[in-house]
Formats: sequence, structure tokens, C-alpha cells
Amino acid sequence: MANAFVAAFEILSFGAIIVLIVLGLGIIASMMGIFNFAQGEFVLLGAYITYLAYAKGLPIWAGMVAAPFVVGALGFVLEALIIRRFYAAPIVAMLGTYALGLIIRESVRGLIGGFYLTVPEPIGGSIDIGATHISAWRFTIIVITLLVMAGCYLLLSRTSFGLRMRATLENPSLARASGISTPLMYGATFAFGSALAGLAGALIVPVFSLYADLGLRFLIQGFVAVMVGGVGSFIGPVAGAGVIGTLSAALPWVMAPVVADVLVFVLAIVFIKFRPQGLIAGKGV
Amino acid sequence: MPKSMSVVREAIAGDEADDAMAERVAAGQAKEQVKAGRKVLPIVEGVVLVAALLAPLVLQDYLTVFATRVIILALFALSFDLVWGYAGIMSFGQALFFGSAGYGVALLARDLDITNILLVLPAGTIIGLTFALLLGGFLLLGRHPSSVIFVSLGTLTGSYAADRLARGWYYLGGQNGIPSIAPMSLGGYEFTEGPAFYYLVLGILVVVYLLCRFLVRSQFGLALAGLRENEQRIAFFGYKAQHLKAIIFAIGGAIAGLAGSLYAFHEGFVWPNMVGVVVSTQVVLYVLFGGSGTLIGAVIGTVIVEGVSFWLSDNYREIWPIILGLLLLLVILFRPLGLISFVLGERERVGSFGARPKETERKTEKQTEKEKRNAAP
Repeated sequence: MANAFVAAFEILSFGAIIVLIVLGLGIIASMMGIFNFAQGEFVLLGAYITYLAYAKGLPIWAGMVAAPFVVGALGFVLEALIIRRFYAAPIVAMLGTYALGLIIRESVRGLIGGFYLTVPEPIGGSIDIGATHISAWRFTIIVITLLVMAGCYLLLSRTSFGLRMRATLENPSLARASGISTPLMYGATFAFGSALAGLAGALIVPVFSLYADLGLRFLIQGFVAVMVGGVGSFIGPVAGAGVIGTLSAALPWVMAPVVADVLVFVLAIVFIKFRPQGLIAGKGV
Repeated sequence: MPKSMSVVREAIAGDEADDAMAERVAAGQAKEQVKAGRKVLPIVEGVVLVAALLAPLVLQDYLTVFATRVIILALFALSFDLVWGYAGIMSFGQALFFGSAGYGVALLARDLDITNILLVLPAGTIIGLTFALLLGGFLLLGRHPSSVIFVSLGTLTGSYAADRLARGWYYLGGQNGIPSIAPMSLGGYEFTEGPAFYYLVLGILVVVYLLCRFLVRSQFGLALAGLRENEQRIAFFGYKAQHLKAIIFAIGGAIAGLAGSLYAFHEGFVWPNMVGVVVSTQVVLYVLFGGSGTLIGAVIGTVIVEGVSFWLSDNYREIWPIILGLLLLLVILFRPLGLISFVLGERERVGSFGARPKETERKTEKQTEKEKRNAAP
């Protein structure tokens, strides 16, 4: 019973991390039609900023709060300078963002060297439930993920900002005719997606420690999750991330980890092949 | 099939004309040369070939070994160029075929003691072909045509999954891969690193290059070009667009397999990165740099990227990947046709296919060549 509880917690916690990472990826892919290969590096930057704050003697919380804003600002600038040119061509966008990611990743590698740098958990210790202990920080990540998810949903579905964002992305010319500044909305959407990646990086760095290929590790899982969930809505990628995250964490408990690892990808690709629209089809929030 | 060819040709000519308009300012000089009737492509190819033939004579031994590796990678780049530059299939998983063939021949050498060049190279090619047929068949064929995004992410995922599998599978050597593979042999002769291996690889590259050149200039190549420019239109003409794609994907896989088996024997070991995302994206870099859609562009791109990286790796090892990323970004933004477009005009890049219909013939070198051919027998 205790074991099952620990397993369930592990699965839930990993699922939450994947959801957190996919949120930004999904918003950019669904709303803008761009599969952002640099998203993993935005996660890496978030992690790096948190590490930097810690290394400079600031409280880790400060780094974690700063990370989404810094990465979001960077995303806004990059969108205006570079990403904007790619909207018409999805493949070129992949290559361009890949190049951007390469630049960011290698810069960070140059800054930190080939090391694995650890950042302590801002909330240490464990929560005891009966005889079992669960990591307090991983529990916090689950809670924050739920809050961020709810926040994003409300932002997109209930605020006038979300309405304008969706209008722009669904029908740009009509949105322009209605007096919405579409370039600004594109920039804001991309910045928002980047900021979410920065936040994800900041939150997971105590769990995975900081190394240059940190973002790459999650990028492909993130893409697969977005495709499984279905591009075009906010809920789709989140659902996909839940499924992929849960599967990747749950399967190693019942079979050899190598087989499980590969099986998740194979299952996902087969699923997408036969249901290209994903779990949740259609536009909307 | 040939009946609709002229229609396809016109359709492509229309699309290309639009592109040419946009490209005119940038490639002005190259255009002038084409107008004057001079062909740049054979000159470029000739220069590259001569340089490649002379290289081992002037290079030191360790540089010849490096040059051999570059030639093998150029062969690999050719396979990607065929798939992306000519058929417009974004394969982010080309290393899957390269690496699995490498692993395949390494296992042949390790477990069965088969190193005969006449067996291992065909074996590697067939492994690449088989994997490409399976993956390509699954991703590309089916009742509904797959989206470009699905194909590119599907190949990327395949490559990533293969990497993970190779890392975790004890039989394949896990993280360390398979070390110290015996050298390739022919009769009693063993191909070890050096000029002999270099010329072997160069010979293979030239043969494959010529085959590819024939392929992309044939009627099949014309259908491919149509596919790349406007897939829907080609489908409306009655072509089975998905089948064409699957065929070219399989050919690309076979070439990648050939390159992978040569690479495994040249380096003497295989390791998980060879099937993984790193090598898959590396080959994309080569081709984008050199110029996709021209075969020689893939070769030149490989030589430049590998050469500069080798040259800089002593002093600027950390900075080089950043410079590479910046250059790649600049190429994508301002030179989407790659470095080759500095010397090669748009019209020549697109080229002509098979025999031209009579009414569109003009007094060009093409025609004089044709007359010579007709006069010959």
C-alpha cells in the first residue's frame, strides 16, 4: 500500500513536470502554429537564471520569480526580431528556432562548462503521511502546476486579453479590422509561452540539476505530447502532456525501463498516425 | 505518366518564376552568367572533384583520415538532400538509417566475423533501405496524406527513440557502443585509415552522386520537383504523391545506410549518438549551409562545416557551436538556398528534366549537347 502510494506520487509528480513544460510549448504551437525548437532552451535559461541567483547569494525564490519575466522578455524580443519572419512556413520555423536553440544552449554550456550544477530545493524536507515520506518540493511543483494551469485557462477564456489573443490567432485580418494590434498580440503570445518555459525551468532545476542538455531532454517528449493532445486548443496539449507524462512515469514500474522508454514514443506516434487531430480536436480554449 | 509531364513542367515553371523574381536581386550576378549561356554547376562540380582527387597528395596523413570522414559525411548529406531538397520531406531522423546500418555492420563484424567489403556494404545499404521503408511507409503512406509537421516530428521521435534503445540495450553495448570493429577486407587486403580508404570512399561518393544526378534530372525527378513545389497540384494530375515520397525516402535511407556502414568501419566503433538526434540535426546543418536542392551544395556544405569546425576546434571549441548557430540563422533568414546560391542561379538550380519538348527548345548549350548526342550514332 505504501509502495503504491509512493509510485502514484512519483507518477503524478513527473506528469506535473511534463505538463508544466508542455504548457508553453502547447500555447505557441496551438495558437501560432509554430513548433518552437528553442522551447527546451527557454526551459534551460529559466533553470540557469535560478542557478545564477543562488550562486550570487540571493534567495532561490528570487531567481524563480525572476526567471519567467526575464525569459518572457527575451521571447518578446526574439519574436520581434526573428520568429516573426517564419509565420508562413512551419518547416523553416522549426529550423530557425532550432538554430536559436543551438545558440542559447551552447552559450549556456560555455557559461557553466560541462558540469552538473545542483540547486537546493527552496522548500526542503519531506511531508510525512503515515509511514511514507514524499518530497515537499515535488509536492509544491504539483500544486504550482495546477495553479498555473488554472491561471492560463482563466486568462485565455475569461479575460479580454485572452479573447483578443484568440481572435488574433484565429482570424488575423478580422482581428486587425476590429482594431486589435496583431503584431503586438503575436509578440505577447510568444512571450507568454516563453515565460511559462522559464518558469518550468526554474521550478524543475532543484529536481534535475542544471546541465546544458536539460532542455533537450524534455523537448521531444513535449512535442510528442502536443501532437497526442491535439494542436489548436489550450486543453489539447495539456491533456496530451498528462497522458505522456503519466505513461513515461508509470510504464517503468511494470517493465524494463528501456523498453518502456521506447514504447511510449512508439505508442504515441502510432496514435497520432491514426488520429491526427489528437485527443481533443478543435479550436477554442 | 509522360502525357501529363508537359503540364507539370509548366506548373513548376510558373512557381519557379515567382521564386526567381524574388531571388533576382540577390542572385543578380549569377543570373547574368546563366543568361550568357555559361553553366556554373558543372564547373563547381569539376572543381570539387579535382580538389577531392588531389587532397590526399597534399594533405598530411592525419588530415587524410579527417578528409575520409568528411567524404563519408558528404555521402550521408547527399541522402538528406535527396529527401528534403528534392522531395520536400523534412526528415529530422536521417541518422536513424545511418546509425542502424552502422550498428548492423558492427554486429556482423563482431558476432559473425564478416568484414568482406562485398558483403558489409550491401548489408548496410539494405539495412538503411529496410528501416527507411518501414518508417517512411508508416509515416508517409495511408488513407490521408500526413502533414509535414507529423513527418518531421515522427522522424525526429524515431531517431530519439532509437538513441534511447541503443543506450539501454546491453547487446548493442549500451552507452559505450561497440568498440574496435575489425577493418573491412577484400580478399586478403584490409582497408585501414589512409589514402586507400579515402579513394574507396571517394569512388563510392562519385558513383552515388552520379546516380542521384541522373535520378533528379529524370522524369521521376521532375515529378519530385513538382511534389516539392506544390504537392496538391501533383496529386490532382493523378500522381500517387505519397508513393513517390515513400520511394525517395527509401532511396535516401539506403544511401544513409551505405554511408553509415562506411563510417562504422572507418571510425572502428559505433556509439548511440550515431542513431540519435545530434547526428540527425548535424546533417540538416550541412545541407542547409551548402544549399538544399543542389546535390553539390550538400557536399560543399559538409566540407565547409566540418572543415571550419576542425580548424577552429583547437582554440575555439566552446565558441564554435555558437558561431555555427548564428551562421545557420543568418543563412535561413537571408540565404534560404544556401551558400551555393552565391554562384548558382535559380534557373540552373531548378534545371531541366529529361528530354525537353520541341516547341520550348531554345538555342542553349542543352540543345547543342542534344544535337551532338543525336549525331553520334
